[in-house]
Amino acid sequence: MRFFLELALSGLAVGAVYGLVAMGFAVIYKATGLVNFAQGELTMIIAYIAWTIQTNLTGNVAVVTVGALGAALLLGLAIERVVMRPMLGEPVFATVMVTIALAVILRSSINFIWDAYPHGLDLGVGRSVVRAGAVGIRTGQIAVVATLLAMLAGFTLFFRYSRFGIAMRAVAADDRTALLMGVSTGRVHAAAWAASAVISGIAGIFFAVSYDLSPTMFQLGLKSFPATILGGLDAVIGSGLGGVIIGVAENLAGGYLGSGTKEVAGFVLIIVILMVRPFGLFGQRDIERV
Amino acid sequence: MIAAGLPSRGQPVPSAAPAPLLEFRNVRVVYDKAIEAVRDVSLSVPERGVVALLGSNGAGKSTLLKAMSGLLYTEEGVLEGGSIRFRGAEIQALAPDELVRSGIVQVPEGRRVFAALTVDENLAMGGFTKSGSSARAKLERVFELFPRLAERRGQVAGYMSGGEQQMLAIGRALMSEPVVLALDEPSLGLAPLVIDRIYGVIARLRDEFGLTVLLVEQNAQRALDVADHGYILENGRVVLDGPADRLAGNEDVREFYLGVSREGEKSLRDVKHYKRRKRWLS
Ligand SMILES: Nc1ncnc2c1ncn2[C@@H]1O[C@H](COP(=O)(O)OP(=O)(O)OP(=O)(O)O)[C@@H](O)[C@H]1O
Ligand SMILES: [Mg+2]
Repeated sequence: MRFFLELALSGLAVGAVYGLVAMGFAVIYKATGLVNFAQGELTMIIAYIAWTIQTNLTGNVAVVTVGALGAALLLGLAIERVVMRPMLGEPVFATVMVTIALAVILRSSINFIWDAYPHGLDLGVGRSVVRAGAVGIRTGQIAVVATLLAMLAGFTLFFRYSRFGIAMRAVAADDRTALLMGVSTGRVHAAAWAASAVISGIAGIFFAVSYDLSPTMFQLGLKSFPATILGGLDAVIGSGLGGVIIGVAENLAGGYLGSGTKEVAGFVLIIVILMVRPFGLFGQRDIERV
Repeated sequence: MIAAGLPSRGQPVPSAAPAPLLEFRNVRVVYDKAIEAVRDVSLSVPERGVVALLGSNGAGKSTLLKAMSGLLYTEEGVLEGGSIRFRGAEIQALAPDELVRSGIVQVPEGRRVFAALTVDENLAMGGFTKSGSSARAKLERVFELFPRLAERRGQVAGYMSGGEQQMLAIGRALMSEPVVLALDEPSLGLAPLVIDRIYGVIARLRDEFGLTVLLVEQNAQRALDVADHGYILENGRVVLDGPADRLAGNEDVREFYLGVSREGEKSLRDVKHYKRRKRWLS
């Protein structure tokens, strides 16, 4: 039982990181109909920016977080404005290729700007262990799960009650008619990129604090993309939950069936679920547009 | 100089008609750099008037409305010639949201309600450009016009009947407080009784709310009943225009658009004397 709990809890924590990145995928897909293949790279860059602030400026957790997430916001806006907006109206295939190119550029920029070695992001928090009975869990892991829950609640309220949130759903459903309502789709796209970069950035910082920082961190994107497929590519909340499901499933498989199964467990789960629900657990729209 | 031949006192001089609120001047629209959907169309919509734009499938009616709303670019369409003016100023270069903000709004063909959104959310989207304090008053006005919507505020729009969806589409457009409201085939696919309701509201919009209406229809009878003036579009050209009552009485219009048959299949443009009639009509 203790073994199970420990696996499940640490699966929950890593799943929350996947979930946050997956929400980043879903926000962009929902608003623009595009899969951003640079999502993992974006996550990694923000973590590196956090580390830069920590090593050069201050290790104060609030300053580092606000600084790095501010950078994420600007980076998201810049990518939308400079790279994605000129691609508007071009075939989806070409636009997706642009995000792949962006991924490669961001990935190699790590070696140009920083270096190829792993680093620890030490913000002086998150590493102490809390004991609950027999199982121990790090405060950073508790915090990432709490953050995911807060994000899920926040986005639920945003999509249901805010004018801009409803507009995002309207754009996702029928962007031409949304234009007729005076919704500027350009502004919705920009907001989606900014929000997506910030959510991914949060995931990146948590990941770097809990594990470490290295040029392979972009693989978080590869791990999280299945989560968003599982939850539904256009389902922001569903994608967050999808991450948790995959994180827990992976850990349990790794613990009980041998570490070799850890990598594939998530994908097996996806195949099974997609056979039953082709648009994901919470997805609505068919995903032909990808 | 102006002595004899003046119209009787108190009558407006016919030629000094008020400047139109909305005006299309020699508009030409091309899709995909190849398909000429509208050629040299001029039409004007006076303030507080109801102007009907009639024509059969593919005549170019919706294309003109897309041009008005700045939507051509979404379909590879380009306004290659002419201009569209609102209160005298050219508006064809404005973005869709700027046009909505300045009061030019359309209810698109096929209603296009946001199917997954509730009635309330659809209405909120209609008022996207005018958020804030007046929202409640506008909602009440829409519910007064369409009491049916008030009963279904929480319902998902996609599950409503065609008539209810049309009411929602019109109500949604009204939430943005339009000056000019264009309606693209509002009677399409609706039962006669529902059409009565919709047309009743269109008349009220002009009479009580002072709206200017551009009414696109295939249903010429209905449209000419409520309109002051009508234009008939064929193959992207205006082939006939005139006061609505005269159009409704015109033999060719009666034959081709009101289903009052005279002889075999012919296009209005093939009718030899249409030009003379046009002169007579206008
Ligand atoms: N997106 C498009 N791309 C290419 N051609 C188009 C496009 N939209 C319309 N057309 C063409 O332009 C012409 C006018 O179409 P439009 O939709 O304006 O007609 P309409 O009068 O609204 O017809 P209907 O009564 O059937 O709605 C048609 O020949 C149509 O095939
Ligand atoms: Mg049409």
